[in-house]
Amino acid sequence: MKRALMNTAPIAAVVMLLAPQAAHAAWTKTYVIEWIEHASYYGAKGGMIDPGTDCSKGTNPEPNWVQMLINAGYTKEEAEWIRNPANPERSAVSGNPKMAFRGKNRASVYKDPETYPDPGILEVDGDKAEGINLDGDATNGFINAITGEPGVDNKFYKALGCWKTFRGPKRMSSGAQTVNDPMREGSWTMVIVVRGEGNDPMNDDKVQVGVYQSGDPMIKTGDGKIVEDFTFTIQPHARNEGVFPARVKNGRITSTAPVDWMMRDPSPGAVRSGLEILKGQIDLTMQPDGSLKGYFGGYRPWAPVYFGWAGFGQVNEVLTWIDLPAAWYAMKRHADYAPTPGGEKTHISFALRVDAVPAFVRTPDAKQEIAEVRSYKAEAPATPPAAAPRPLAAATPAAR
Amino acid sequence: MCAAVFGVGTVGAVAVTLQSPAIAQARQATAAEPFAVAVRRLTESQYRNIVADLFGADITMNARFEPEMREEGLQAIGAAQLSVTTSGFEQYFALANSVSAQVIDAKRREKLVGCQPADPKKVDEACTRAVVTRYGKGLFRRPLTEAEIATRLSIAAKGTAGVGDYYEGLRLALASLLMDPEFLFRVESAEPDPARRGQYRLDAYTKASRLSFLLWNSAPDAELLSVAEKGDIHKDAVLKAQVARMVASPKVRDGASAFFTDMLQFDHFDNLTKDAATYPKYSQKVADSAREQTLRTVLDLTVDQNRDYRDVFTSNETFINRALAAVYKVSYPSKDPWTKYTFPASSERSGILTQVTFLSLFSHPAASSPTKRGVKIHEIFMCEPTPEPPADVDFSKVQALDKGTVRVRLLDHMQNEGCASCHRRSDPPGLALERFDGLGQLRTLENGAPIDVSADFEGVKFTGATGLGKYLRDDKRIPACLVRNVYAYGVGKAPDERDEDYLDDQTKAFAKSGYRFKALLAGIASSAGFFKVEQPKGLGPANPPKAVATARLSQGGPQ
Repeated sequence: MKRALMNTAPIAAVVMLLAPQAAHAAWTKTYVIEWIEHASYYGAKGGMIDPGTDCSKGTNPEPNWVQMLINAGYTKEEAEWIRNPANPERSAVSGNPKMAFRGKNRASVYKDPETYPDPGILEVDGDKAEGINLDGDATNGFINAITGEPGVDNKFYKALGCWKTFRGPKRMSSGAQTVNDPMREGSWTMVIVVRGEGNDPMNDDKVQVGVYQSGDPMIKTGDGKIVEDFTFTIQPHARNEGVFPARVKNGRITSTAPVDWMMRDPSPGAVRSGLEILKGQIDLTMQPDGSLKGYFGGYRPWAPVYFGWAGFGQVNEVLTWIDLPAAWYAMKRHADYAPTPGGEKTHISFALRVDAVPAFVRTPDAKQEIAEVRSYKAEAPATPPAAAPRPLAAATPAAR
Repeated sequence: MCAAVFGVGTVGAVAVTLQSPAIAQARQATAAEPFAVAVRRLTESQYRNIVADLFGADITMNARFEPEMREEGLQAIGAAQLSVTTSGFEQYFALANSVSAQVIDAKRREKLVGCQPADPKKVDEACTRAVVTRYGKGLFRRPLTEAEIATRLSIAAKGTAGVGDYYEGLRLALASLLMDPEFLFRVESAEPDPARRGQYRLDAYTKASRLSFLLWNSAPDAELLSVAEKGDIHKDAVLKAQVARMVASPKVRDGASAFFTDMLQFDHFDNLTKDAATYPKYSQKVADSAREQTLRTVLDLTVDQNRDYRDVFTSNETFINRALAAVYKVSYPSKDPWTKYTFPASSERSGILTQVTFLSLFSHPAASSPTKRGVKIHEIFMCEPTPEPPADVDFSKVQALDKGTVRVRLLDHMQNEGCASCHRRSDPPGLALERFDGLGQLRTLENGAPIDVSADFEGVKFTGATGLGKYLRDDKRIPACLVRNVYAYGVGKAPDERDEDYLDDQTKAFAKSGYRFKALLAGIASSAGFFKVEQPKGLGPANPPKAVATARLSQGGPQ
């Protein structure tokens, strides 16, 4: 038997030489997202609220709260008493609940924003933004602030980019820090898996990118960064997962087709059950230091954004300097996508700025390093269905 | 009231501790009676193990123990020179109160006290005596004298009378035992040897304690104390049987753990710092994990697998957790907190010298140090200490961290002939480890220059960490040094020329066993040399004993 095997060995070698060679050697790169924030381009030269090419008048200023209440029908004395810290009605958590009742007939603006006239908000008036050209149309949208490419679709930024929550240099806005601090402290983790079929990770036309949740917390380095090369196992989730067809050109990974997907909502004040993103795309670039930087883009439902903030009540308004119904009207004004052709524009284009560092990613059972991009939804434990987005009609007086 | 009771006891306890050498010296005038030959302060781990063994592993002990001291390469030797400071005693005091309170609390009382007072508001001397006698024997590693028992009965009675609670009085009595120098110090004593006229031997309880602290890092158990009480521990066959029993016990892992913790100088972790900008992956979690990794590796090889001790220099089998996996840049293959892991050959990691512990402990905060590593290889594994550098050394050339490789910088530094002699000896093994930075991460370049890990060490040439590991594995000084360390650790003193023949014999026996660590422990623990008593200066040959004492220091302890 042994001899027979030895005799066949040269033949096998010849057969192997003659057989078609595998054209490509697949490759996999894996990362953990260490920072994620709304892609708000900050056009000022310094500071946090200064005027800039994004917001020529600077950050949306703090409203005159007493005047706001007077405009809503309260007397000056009533308005000042509502705002008075000595008022025993005030809550340490949510402020004075009476601030909510400034809608028509004392309706709560947090529940029914359109019972209140649009107070207005400073909107982005510059022509640059960060994000992705979602519709492929270079004739509309912003100019890409990084690459100079036209057609960036980011109406969310247009509507709310001057709001203190989102405005500021990278990683400095209050909204970004509110979201990323708990993530970096271990509350939640997302990993990215990039898998190519070719033999050059920097240039490959057949790539798949998976964005998954992990139950393993990130760990910080001694100087506050996220530890690289840490190991994470994929935690299958029934909804929160994205699988994108893509290509790589000179290290830049871009979608080849849009994808509807969900992820844990990284928005400040968000409902954590998940963020629905329609016609989602990615634009991520592999960096020389091994990290990955870029964007997730798509169209998100805008009404839940408002109700998420409204859930925090008046404290959120005071801390972030906004007469909150202004955000409702701004998003409604700039909403640019209707899932049903010709229907209501329930979604708005947006982008998330993503920074990821190299990490090991393993299969859910931790037995193997991940070597494919696929859906793990079928392996997820049963979870309650996502809360249905509140229909816009319920929040608009016209529909009542 | 309670404070007053304790106040007297506390001061008395400290006073006796500090006076112990004087008392021992005074007793040497009467050589026919037992006398103290050594006093060693319990280590933190010994304290914790004894309390856990006696009262249960669920007893919480939150305390900051006083630092230990390393002498002649071992803290076990330094322990013979340690006293207790006032603040240190405050910690013992607080801990004694805490432990005694837990012993008599409602959930443990029935199990641990074992008897009930006739009236829970009044003194019950019989119950107190039973508890004090039982736990006193475990804590003091010998039966209590009647005077020692009487002291605790008095403390308990005063405490009970003061607050009208029997258990509070009992708690005070237990706390008194827990802060007694007879518990906090290992007082070793000798007596005339009836079998060898004019010679001394360690008394039975001292022998039992030496065995148990070496093999289990804790006090003797009931069986060993019983053997000591009968005097049978002096019989060779009985001694060997006890050693065999103890080495076969799972608790030998505790003994081995304490020994390697001492020998490998893990106390340096207490002062380990790394520059966060240079080594961002370093954290307290990494440091704690590294310590655990090396200990697990050594115990697995030498105790669990009972392999050749020298494999610790060459084996690529280890244990990692997620934090360490990131430092080693490997994917963590488990959902458990720790997992067994075998480094691939390409990792260049084999043996404990290639683990984060050794590589990071013996480096600078922002750079590796072939010199530090080399010095420690000599010191820890070869028992060859290196002299301190001269005070006027110019370190400027080796400290220029942004230029070239450290090998080149050291060559420049060695132009100073005053430094060269030591560096020629210390640096070669350290240079072989230079592909690991100051945290232990693998690298191939330093400041853009390729790192040369060739070494010419005592005329033998090898390359890299793997070559160093093989070199050390075959070096005869390695097993001889381990034998020296185990012996010194057990007896609490550095060997001298009078021990050379004994150590040579033990080294040969160690080799014959295939360099099995447990065989080494058993060989030393059952040898006469492990218990030998050197005749104290100024003391003549022992007088014939009046009787073979089983109790010693009969008047000792705080009265």
